[in-house]
Amino acid sequence: MSLRYRAISWNPQKRRYDAVMAASSGLYLALFVGVSAFTNPNATIETLLIRAFGTAALLLLHVILLIGPLCRLQPRFLPLLYNRRHLGVTTFVMGLAHGGFALFQFHALGDTNPLVSLLISNRRFDSLANFPFQPLGFIALVILFLMAATSHDFWLKQLSPVMWKRLHMLVYAAYALLIAHVALGVLQAETNPLLAGVLAAGMIVVLTVHLLAAQREHAMDKQPFETGFVAVCALGEIPEKRARVISLNGERIAVFKHDGKLSALSNVCQHQNGPLGEGRIVDGCVTCPWHGYQYLPETGVSPPPFKERVATYRVKLIDGVVYVNPEPVGQDGILSYTPSV
Amino acid sequence: MIQRLRKTHRLIFIALAVLLPLLFIAALAVRKPMPVNQPFPPQLLRTK
Ligand code: HEM
Ligand code: FES
Repeated sequence: MSLRYRAISWNPQKRRYDAVMAASSGLYLALFVGVSAFTNPNATIETLLIRAFGTAALLLLHVILLIGPLCRLQPRFLPLLYNRRHLGVTTFVMGLAHGGFALFQFHALGDTNPLVSLLISNRRFDSLANFPFQPLGFIALVILFLMAATSHDFWLKQLSPVMWKRLHMLVYAAYALLIAHVALGVLQAETNPLLAGVLAAGMIVVLTVHLLAAQREHAMDKQPFETGFVAVCALGEIPEKRARVISLNGERIAVFKHDGKLSALSNVCQHQNGPLGEGRIVDGCVTCPWHGYQYLPETGVSPPPFKERVATYRVKLIDGVVYVNPEPVGQDGILSYTPSV
Repeated sequence: MIQRLRKTHRLIFIALAVLLPLLFIAALAVRKPMPVNQPFPPQLLRTK
């Protein structure tokens, strides 16, 4: 991987994404405060803001958690993935506003430091009904902060992709902490079944979609170990300028068909492990569907000045059947054939 | 590396699919009814 920092630059698509996100967040907050002020006239503005920001942050976190597996199951959702980083940062900001108002409302008026008060004022760890649910939200907020702060590609390079990915998997811990934060917190007093219903529905959707996607990937990984060339599909099964993704010996390989040639590359993008085989050949390059990193199909190397490289594999075509050797090679994973018209 | 991540992700979600619903149901089960104010005894009301 190159040491060069490679910015994914601003473009109209990104601006549109951010505009839609900002407008829907603003609309949600305004609607929530407006409707609650009407249905619950005794609530103070602080309470309404705490609730509006808290629910908005949790809602956004659900969207973030759903984007990944939904894209795996249905490529139609790919545009959502493109700028997921900004969704994450917005979630943190909303969570911070919620936590900040809550800290002010419940912990700032005593003689103890509000953060200390947050952590020590309730020590009923032995009781589910009275459990100190606020520190759970605080830990989740710290995780969201770490993720937002390191979400830039600069940190991906500094931390190494493995460490970065591990850190960002903490989002699942944050999600579990927040379910506990709400279930052991506001749900203990809130008898209106709406909140419990919405929380349960969100949880069922997140868990189901992740399990379905994971199960599909697991089924693909379970194939027996192979040596030598392995028949993977018929030539006709690969659409022009696109790929078919196969799993050989635990590695995902994308077999691309383009201009009378076949080439097999690792399916794993060097940027953030995006699935190259779900992308297309654009301007002669395999283009990652997530953020557009490019690789030459012949060599697996990014076009200059970039220096990323993915492994390539040898391909054979016999009687219209495509064979791939699971042993990665250097520069010669390409095969020419005469396309039948 | 990517296969290990996939495996970790799958294990995390199998664990969450068991633990989160359990936590949610337990949280609903331990809920106590909110105390309700009894109406003020009329004999204590004094109207001058
Ligand atoms: C310092 C961190 C946090 C503190 C001190 C905190 C505190 C609180 C408090 C006191 C409540 C109950 C409010 C009420 O009675 O209406 C609450 C509820 C809630 N919190 Fe947090 N929280 C924190 C972090 C978070 C984060 C990071 C999220 C989501 C990303 C979140 C989501 C929620 C939700 C959805 C509710 C239920 C709706 C509501 O009542 O506001 N909290 N939190
Ligand atoms: S994962 Fe970001 S470009 Fe491929």
